Amino acid sequence: MSHIHINLEHVNYSYDASHPVLKDITFTAHEHEAVGLIGANGVGKSTLLKLLVGLNLNYEGSIRVEDIPVEKNTLPVIREKIGYVFQDSDSQLFLSTVKDDVAFAPRNYGLSEDEVSKRVNHALESIHIEHLKNRQIYKLSGGEKKMVSIATILSMTPDIILMDEPSIALDPGNRRRLIHILNEFDHLKIIASHDLDMILDTCNRVILMSKGQIIRDGKVREILSDKDLLEKHGLELPFCMQGSPYS
Amino acid sequence: MSRLDHALYEIHHMDMLADRDQWLNRIHPLVKLIISAAYIAVTVSFHKYNFTGLLRMGIYPIVLFILGDISFTDALKRLRIVLPLVCFVGLFNPFFDRKPALEIGAFVVTAGMISMATLMLKGIYSVLAAYLLIASTSIEKICSAMRMLHIPAILVTQVLLTYRYISVLLEEAGRITEAYSLRAPKQKGVHFKVWGSLAGQLLLRSMDRADNVYESMTLRGYRGEFYYGGKTALCTKDTAYLIVWILLFILLKMI
Repeated sequence: MSHIHINLEHVNYSYDASHPVLKDITFTAHEHEAVGLIGANGVGKSTLLKLLVGLNLNYEGSIRVEDIPVEKNTLPVIREKIGYVFQDSDSQLFLSTVKDDVAFAPRNYGLSEDEVSKRVNHALESIHIEHLKNRQIYKLSGGEKKMVSIATILSMTPDIILMDEPSIALDPGNRRRLIHILNEFDHLKIIASHDLDMILDTCNRVILMSKGQIIRDGKVREILSDKDLLEKHGLELPFCMQGSPYS
Repeated sequence: MSRLDHALYEIHHMDMLADRDQWLNRIHPLVKLIISAAYIAVTVSFHKYNFTGLLRMGIYPIVLFILGDISFTDALKRLRIVLPLVCFVGLFNPFFDRKPALEIGAFVVTAGMISMATLMLKGIYSVLAAYLLIASTSIEKICSAMRMLHIPAILVTQVLLTYRYISVLLEEAGRITEAYSLRAPKQKGVHFKVWGSLAGQLLLRSMDRADNVYESMTLRGYRGEFYYGGKTALCTKDTAYLIVWILLFILLKMI
């Protein structure tokens, strides 16, 4: 097994005993894989991502990140390896300027100011937003905020990137830029989204969830072209596979 | 622009002022914090009848408004709620202290009037000094200076997060009142019958937002201590600036 991987075995999770949110989740994701986590609203996609970074800990089963179990005492190590991009960028960005927000993680990990500066510049350059470095966060557009959110996790140089609905509220231009940038990343990526066209463009593997369970796990084209399967679980074919209604 | 939006705009504007690349903004935050605290301490230590001596302390805000290229009229506009409150403190002195102090023609100036004016001026100077500090230094830099003075991390983090939380609270309040006003077009303000539920909604929503922000911080390695970065050592310019002001304050106090 490659060094960088995430492994879940028989994971169950519930906020209260009578309403299980995740049921018997088992999968392994490897280095360089881009996994799309799809499913209707409320099937547990975001909860699953939060379990992977230890935001919810009282789960049953086993979750291991690079062979390290996700437990309270391992969280600092786990979180250094995983970058998590929130659905709402306003929750992710809380300092006044872009450079301060991007520098937040490297400073917390005790790096020198020279190294912090290098990390900030590299993170911004890697997604082509160097020009935003000294900007005030509140002056950024929605698309710019999303890019800066991604930069805040890249400055941690994570092995694994988790994204919760990254294309939500982005205009077509920014969505296209996001897709290009995601495709430039060589990390292990897990992307939870309803935007099946984006999943098709960025992922090579898809996990379809319904009612807290994994229904299918396979190649992206295989699952996203299965109209009956998608419709049965509250989704539709990606727009690019639906054909034009005017033709 | 609604009043909530305006308040949010003002906060962002202060952040922008503090983030400019001005000579005053580049002075070490620790130096600015010490000078501000020293100025307020010296100002409030003036005797209650020493009005003319106190007038000389006005040199500090005047110089800083010029050095920092900060608009005085904007400052007055922003402080229009605080300044009257500060002035209100000494309003009753003339009634309690009626001893004549000096005569200007037929008008007798009592000691109470002088102490009232002195108290008001002390308040105005102190508020202006605080304003000038935050207009030339970001909250992160002020907090880093506080940590350099070994103020406990938990207190400093409280200051920083409280400041940041104001924006979160205002944004949520803005959304709730917008949604309310769109469905209650003929009402001025919010009807008192829904104050309770709106306040509850505001609390729950802002707690959710605060939770998300905290999660984002912990995911990026936050473990109870903020690291602010920026320069930590004082340069010659910072030291000279500190010495000049402290000597001037001592001089103004002594003459």
